[in-house]
Amino acid sequence: MEWLNPYHLQVGSFVLINAILGVSIYVTLSTGQLSLGNAGFMSVGAYAAALLSTQHQVPIPAGILAGSLLAGAAGVLVGIPSLRLSGVYLAIATLGFGEVLRAILINWESLTGGAVGIAAIPQMGRVILAWASDRGFSPGSLGLQNNQFISLTVFLILLLCTILTVAFFLRLSRSRVGRAYAAIRLDERAAEAAGIPITYYKVLAFSQGALLSGFAGALFAHSTSFVSPGDFTYHRAVEILVFAVFGGSEHIFGPVFGAAFLTVVPEALRSISDYRYILYGLLLVLMMVFRPQGVIDPALLRRFRRSGKGTPA
Amino acid sequence: MFLEQLINGITLGSIYAIVALGYTLVFGVLGIINMAHGEIFMFGAFVGMLIMSKAGAPLPVAFLGAIVITAAMGLLLERLALRPLRGRPGASHLASLISTIGVSILLENVAHKIFGAGNHLFETPFAEISFKIGPVTVYLVQVVILLISLLLMAGLALWLSRTRAGKALRATAENLETAGLLGVDTNRMITATVVIASAMGGVAGVLVGMAFNYINNQIGLSMGLKGLAIIIFGGMGSVYGAMAGGLILGLSETFVVAYGSSGYRDAIAFVAIIVILLIKPQGLFGQTTAEARR
Amino acid sequence: MKRNVRLFAVVACALFAFMFMGAEKARKPAPPKGEPIKAKIGVISIITGQGAAYGEAITNGIKLARDEVNAKGEVLIDLKIEDSSGKQEQALAAAQKLINSEKVVAIIGPTLSNEMFAAGPEANASGVPIMGTSTTAKGIPQIGKFVFRNALPESQAIPAAVGQAVKKYNIKKVALLYGNDDAFTKSGFDTMKEVAEKLKLDIVTIQTFQKGQADYKAQLTKIASLKPDAVFCSALYNEGGVILAQARKMGLKVPFVGGNGFNSPQVIEIAKEAAEGLIVATPWFGEKSDPQVKAFVSKYEKAYGKKPDQFAAQAYDAFYIMTNALRAAGAADRAKLRDSLAATKNFQGVLGKFSFDAERDVVMAPNVLIVKGGKFTIFN
Repeated sequence: MEWLNPYHLQVGSFVLINAILGVSIYVTLSTGQLSLGNAGFMSVGAYAAALLSTQHQVPIPAGILAGSLLAGAAGVLVGIPSLRLSGVYLAIATLGFGEVLRAILINWESLTGGAVGIAAIPQMGRVILAWASDRGFSPGSLGLQNNQFISLTVFLILLLCTILTVAFFLRLSRSRVGRAYAAIRLDERAAEAAGIPITYYKVLAFSQGALLSGFAGALFAHSTSFVSPGDFTYHRAVEILVFAVFGGSEHIFGPVFGAAFLTVVPEALRSISDYRYILYGLLLVLMMVFRPQGVIDPALLRRFRRSGKGTPA
Repeated sequence: MFLEQLINGITLGSIYAIVALGYTLVFGVLGIINMAHGEIFMFGAFVGMLIMSKAGAPLPVAFLGAIVITAAMGLLLERLALRPLRGRPGASHLASLISTIGVSILLENVAHKIFGAGNHLFETPFAEISFKIGPVTVYLVQVVILLISLLLMAGLALWLSRTRAGKALRATAENLETAGLLGVDTNRMITATVVIASAMGGVAGVLVGMAFNYINNQIGLSMGLKGLAIIIFGGMGSVYGAMAGGLILGLSETFVVAYGSSGYRDAIAFVAIIVILLIKPQGLFGQTTAEARR
Repeated sequence: MKRNVRLFAVVACALFAFMFMGAEKARKPAPPKGEPIKAKIGVISIITGQGAAYGEAITNGIKLARDEVNAKGEVLIDLKIEDSSGKQEQALAAAQKLINSEKVVAIIGPTLSNEMFAAGPEANASGVPIMGTSTTAKGIPQIGKFVFRNALPESQAIPAAVGQAVKKYNIKKVALLYGNDDAFTKSGFDTMKEVAEKLKLDIVTIQTFQKGQADYKAQLTKIASLKPDAVFCSALYNEGGVILAQARKMGLKVPFVGGNGFNSPQVIEIAKEAAEGLIVATPWFGEKSDPQVKAFVSKYEKAYGKKPDQFAAQAYDAFYIMTNALRAAGAADRAKLRDSLAATKNFQGVLGKFSFDAERDVVMAPNVLIVKGGKFTIFN
């Protein structure tokens, strides 16, 4: 099992967390709303899960669930007043929400530990290994080292979460809700005239995005075992946005691809790490100039599907 | 202490206003947010620093140098990152936002490569000159900054309202296609806007260097975010809004530190925009049309 | 479109030309003698992003030590340097890469305590010794038995500086100023506050600032108006130098007591004469007449064109501690290296005498220094 490299699994885990984050902004975007507050919602989920498990000994799955729901609730709270805003205004207002939230995390030291953050958050893989070892299981019986086992379980859990998330929203996009989202994105007034309750759907999409960000945040907390306000800055918000716009914001596979590509490439470019962000910046400009709709768009997917099926004679 | 803090606040506020003007000009004409403006501003500060501290040239030369370099950067930005996106069918309306974010990341890291990550001393020959008005110490630097900002703002307002080019610019801002039909070379107007906005960023960079004596490659980001908040607060595309918003933010940041908690200083800008957007979404001086356009 | 492409190419070429102008010249490693122990040691450091100034000093210190150690020929170290950008997930990924792909025998770094909280548990679980050279927060070695540090924690440095300053200047009223968005400066502040309360000092105000801020006038005007006897300031040198300069300019002339991160020649470079009267406690004192220190300073200055700060010195010593332990272990073996590392006693480095305690934390006596006449001198 030499080939099972925990480093690759680690990068894979970050790809999956980022993919969920990418989907979170895609969902909000699919109603034509741009949110830059997803880093803030992510911090809500991460801190809630971290505090519940370190200070109140809540089991990890319950903590993750609670963190996601809390972030979703915050999404409703922010979403309703934000409905009056659109476009660039909404983007910057939500960015402001994220910055305010970060200021609170830094200043509310008695709860959050301030800039020092929260350390020693139980890591999913290690908790599972400890639980399994108590019951006489040893990773050796699978031919795995301990650290291989830990990384593999984390990866598999995240993979499951990501697949479920993508499957759910893929189905959603073909449902009534998804069609309503698309109608709102195309033309808000026409959608309203057609009897679609746009307020309801916009808040729904916004809070779904917030909930997903919180979910990703909670998973992040339990896989890196440390969170601090520095993880949820403006840079993170922009990064999440870039996943969607680079990968493509017209199909759910777009942000997933964007997240994967933009996580793996900088990692692979580590050897020239001095120039990584310079290349990253260049890449963004070039993408926008030569393929502004993102790498993946429905047309490309259709072409894939056609060639996949082959051409029967 | 109150009067001294007032002067601190006005100095900071007038610099904020100049930074915000750069954003607001570009938004007013193109309807996009130029996320790279902060980094162009940072380069202006560095050029000024090199000219004054390293070459020992006088202040006007530093301003000139900063203006030339940042104007050239503005030109390149428009040609390479904005123009190719314009009028493309099927382009995501966020494309220009992303491409300018790309430019900002690029510039921030190029500056890091060239200048390093540390603080650089920005020497001004008259940094130590001060005089007392009653109980308050006022530094000559603060007066100079205020004067330059006021001159710049007045000049811009006059240019926009009185000159032919300014009128063409406003026509372009009002409606790109109509202005084009009426014989305005809109591409040229757009380029001019980005170049002028960038040059103002260069001036603001030198002012920041003078005010704080130190610059680093991160000031673009921190000042840039403040500038963004100000244009929302003052009203997108509104020149007067940017001026008023800048002053209000500078003063309130200073006074929150003086009479409140310094930990929330950086959050004020964003609390303010959330509040203003909920009460008056078009901003203090914004027109409703500006919002409806996008 | 074609013109665009061409313009792009020209600009890209110009950019790259710029970048590589600053690229470091490669130095040739000296040929080995005898039968050296060959080992790969990983370094996790901040090469890009906000904290790069610190990461640069650290990697410089390590590279200098590497060249010296390899020239001696007893051990032959292959350094694998990875960037963390100051982000813990990148530090974690870097650790995973070093541990599993590069199969290093040990890791030096990461730079920030935050990063260590993410990378440390992983190295510990994988049985790879990891040693922070600048991770001063509470609870670092407690992560696990493979986690070490040679960075003097603030809880040892600050009480020494504060104690001596209070005695000398008869300080009663203090103002506290700290960077509240950074774990290093925040934990330094916690210690300062604790010490001030223990000494029953009157804390007139507590002010904060954020990383990379350029304007501290508002905070300093407020502090000056309250007329404290001293300012306890927990800042890293980059911000600290600017704070001092702006404070002195507005007439706040009282002594400043700083934390560990304030001690750097860069403070004097940044603040010039405004740095006078700054008191710090630190393991690193570059003006010592000790020949080992002198040799290090002159070699560092020759190689990198500036004086080493404590980040460079701690990294330099860390590399020696690591390779000494490696020699004692006799082989590039992770577990053996851990044991011989833990047994390090009375190592004489450029920081002075160094030992690990039973918890793998630092045992050393800090120097209390004051800036006088444009340089750090012993405070008494």
